[in-house]
Amino acid sequence: MERVAKAEAQPVATGTTLVVMVGLGVAFLLFMAFLNVVKSGNLLDDSNLLYAALIFYSGAGVLYLAFGITGLPAYVRFASLATWAGLLANTGAVAHRWYESGHPPFASIYEMLLSFVWTLAVLTLIAEKKYGVKVIGTVTMPVAIVGVVLMQLLRTEVHPLVPALQSTWLHVHVTLAMLAYAGCALSFALAMMFLIQDKMQTETFLAATSLFSVATYVGILTRFEKLGGLSVVAWNSEQKSEVFLSKGVRLFVVIPDLGWMLLLVLAAVAAPLVFYLLWRKTHNNALLNIANRAVFLSILLQVMALGFFILRVRGGRYASQDADGLFPTSLAASPFILSGLVGAIFVSLLYLLLLWRREDLQRMLPSADELDRLTYKTIAIAFPLLTLMIAAGAYWANRTWGSYWSWDPKETWAAITWLVYAGYLHMRITRGWRGRRAAYFAILGFVIVMFTFFGVTYLLPGLHAYA
Amino acid sequence: MAALVPRKIWQTLGAIKTGVILLILVVILAAAGTVILQRPATDAEEMQRAYSPQMLRLLDGSGLTDVFHAWCFVLLLSLVSLSIIAASIQRFPNAWRFYSRPYKSPDEGFRKALPTHVLIPITDEEAGLNAADHVFQRAGLNPERIVRKSSFSLFGERHRFSEMAVYIVHASLLLIFLGGIVDALFGWRAFVTLTRGQQSSQVETQTGSKLDLPFAVRCDGAGQENYADGTPKRWWSDLAVVENGKETLRKQIVVNEPLVYRGIRFYQASYGKTGKLDQLVLTATPRNTKAPNSQPARDISIALNETLSLDPDTTVRLAEFIPDFVVQDGHVYARSNDLENPAAHLVVGSKKSGHTVNVWLPRIEGLEQNPEQNDASPYELEGKDVQMAYFTGLEVSHEPGQWGVWAGVVVMGLGLALVFYFVHTRVWAVPVRDARGQLMLWVGGTANKNKDVFEQRFRKLVEQIESELKLSAEPRALAPVTAFAGN
Repeated sequence: MERVAKAEAQPVATGTTLVVMVGLGVAFLLFMAFLNVVKSGNLLDDSNLLYAALIFYSGAGVLYLAFGITGLPAYVRFASLATWAGLLANTGAVAHRWYESGHPPFASIYEMLLSFVWTLAVLTLIAEKKYGVKVIGTVTMPVAIVGVVLMQLLRTEVHPLVPALQSTWLHVHVTLAMLAYAGCALSFALAMMFLIQDKMQTETFLAATSLFSVATYVGILTRFEKLGGLSVVAWNSEQKSEVFLSKGVRLFVVIPDLGWMLLLVLAAVAAPLVFYLLWRKTHNNALLNIANRAVFLSILLQVMALGFFILRVRGGRYASQDADGLFPTSLAASPFILSGLVGAIFVSLLYLLLLWRREDLQRMLPSADELDRLTYKTIAIAFPLLTLMIAAGAYWANRTWGSYWSWDPKETWAAITWLVYAGYLHMRITRGWRGRRAAYFAILGFVIVMFTFFGVTYLLPGLHAYA
Repeated sequence: MAALVPRKIWQTLGAIKTGVILLILVVILAAAGTVILQRPATDAEEMQRAYSPQMLRLLDGSGLTDVFHAWCFVLLLSLVSLSIIAASIQRFPNAWRFYSRPYKSPDEGFRKALPTHVLIPITDEEAGLNAADHVFQRAGLNPERIVRKSSFSLFGERHRFSEMAVYIVHASLLLIFLGGIVDALFGWRAFVTLTRGQQSSQVETQTGSKLDLPFAVRCDGAGQENYADGTPKRWWSDLAVVENGKETLRKQIVVNEPLVYRGIRFYQASYGKTGKLDQLVLTATPRNTKAPNSQPARDISIALNETLSLDPDTTVRLAEFIPDFVVQDGHVYARSNDLENPAAHLVVGSKKSGHTVNVWLPRIEGLEQNPEQNDASPYELEGKDVQMAYFTGLEVSHEPGQWGVWAGVVVMGLGLALVFYFVHTRVWAVPVRDARGQLMLWVGGTANKNKDVFEQRFRKLVEQIESELKLSAEPRALAPVTAFAGN
């Protein structure tokens, strides 16, 4: 209550303008979508519902961000409303998918994301209403938005379940996984907020965010080709799938000049890091100012790179080094480059938010102690779920393949995730780790969860080919 | 001195630092095992394609191509188990003392040091303790009066068992490890393929050796059902267990439903064509219906090399079946094992005369061997249906340790629930005199987790005790001076 009162005592910012603008934007997009729907005559299709969810979640994300900046409680009210609306559409999409396929939506990465985003939205609302962590939406909504965008790209037709997946244990396994992963996501968001509240230096965040962006761009630039091209997977728009040379070997095409462009942006995102390191050495505060300006510049360049990437990928056909002829590509063929680019922009924007409005943020968040305890409590819920998830998966594997543990990459990484959280709990309970160290641990845990969820599926080979 | 060294090792083993370092090593090795291609799963050719010869030699030499079965990984897991055992044993006596002999009568030092406590002014020791007794009782803290020589006090607690829950979790982890070790030592995995009617008591293990089972398993049928779009929906096999010549069990298995017999499990693993014929269905129509033994037209089902009687005198035998035939220079050859262009060679004979004729379906003219004599057969034979033989691939496994694993999982679930969701709460109430000689009721409490929630609860308890006291107190009661010494 105290917090709200303080926030209200602030001079009224130009808040209504933003609410009206976001409202108009949402209404406009919904109207455009509605026109499309009328044309196709398929109102409650899961992709349409998902589109509506995307619009509402985006609206909610902007409003939560606006709340973060201005601290006006009215924003949170509208943001909650938008989240509710998005959740409604998301629920519809889940229900439609379930009805259409005849099985719970857990069979492909698309269906898993659908359930994951749904759980995340539910948990966001719970955290907000029950625990009063109002700004949590600024972190979770963008995650939801990236999730929905990925879903649009990775959308799969309804496939009947292959025999191995026809098991109740699978549904138990995946439900538990989604709950546990959403819990981990929440603990991550809480740990981040703890770091803001714990007077961690803004400069440290600068270093962390630049490091994240640099790592993302270095990761993308592993696809750098001679003469400044960037190789991406070719796309067959008729079959809606990647082009394969042979089984498991994808055909790459080279988009000329895109590599140079991304290399330039890499330099731009590395600049703040370089200035930060110089500042660490010389303690000359002018360098820090330059670093902050460099962040601003890097955001502009990143947005340009994203636009350039989308334009080049969507239009034109490109040559390949492995096959003759020209092939088209598509955003759907490079979902991880796209989400990397979007994620890096988002992280830099979060840093700017922190840079400009740190004190407001600190006032609006629960106290550091409270956040620390909440992080622990979320993990105390997520960890048993994680344990049961692994157990249900092992039981299912035993019924299907005759072995409860075969060290396939997904299993191994699930075990690693479990170990990391077990480590967190031990350090906290027996060693009394509190505060920042515990928060770092929680963040590390979520990074590993994300790797287990996406990284293993796309980067490592294994049994979990379904998802 | 000599005894000190193992003691030191024992201490180090049980230290939390050792545990964490060991776990980090496990994580690193396991992660390496998911990045580097692993031996049994990846075939040798692919390994050679993926790594250079020197690299491969290095990886093989260090055991990194089969991390999860390498001696260093097994050693590491054993060390982790030992570390858990050592840590549990070292901490257990203290915890057990704490558990079995609860601290019921707090002395002055404890009362001062306890972070959460209050002093409530009272007029009468008995009335104060009574009020606290009622409130603790209502809160489910099961209060008991503690009478010592010099003092008497009140002690209440709840969920004491949660102090021991962490040992349950550790024990369950060890149970899971034990199950895994038993399986690694005594378990095996094997494979067997059967066609319809075939029976086998021998299976082939992963290492390629043959293993004899104490019983045989017979396949009475296998099949596949498809969705409308042609993707497989279900594979099934009808299996029967034959022991000492007697059939003891029958079960239809599908992908998620294995057959279990004497701790050995049979899983539906694969299903496919053998390229061989199971049954050929023919329509036999007599050419001369007035002949003495002639039978009316009927369908017969015949297997390869099987001889059937068409009438008391005439027999038919399926001599050859080619699923995908091609004729070259007067000979019939098989082009593939797929049922593309089938041909059957039947021999129709007469018992009395011993005379036989060759029937080819379809008619193939100009053959050097067994030339076609279709028109000479007393019955006109017509192909109606071809049923190919399918094999069912069964994964066979024996995992005697799995019960340890499942028991461990269940116990761990229970243990974690106790650890995280049951809080050991303790409260005390002691009548004391403060520095000015005023009679006070000291009320203190502690919880082993969720301390913030406990503090709120404690405040409520104190409020309830105060209102209880007000109800029973005389009108001249002093204004309550509650000193809060919480944090």
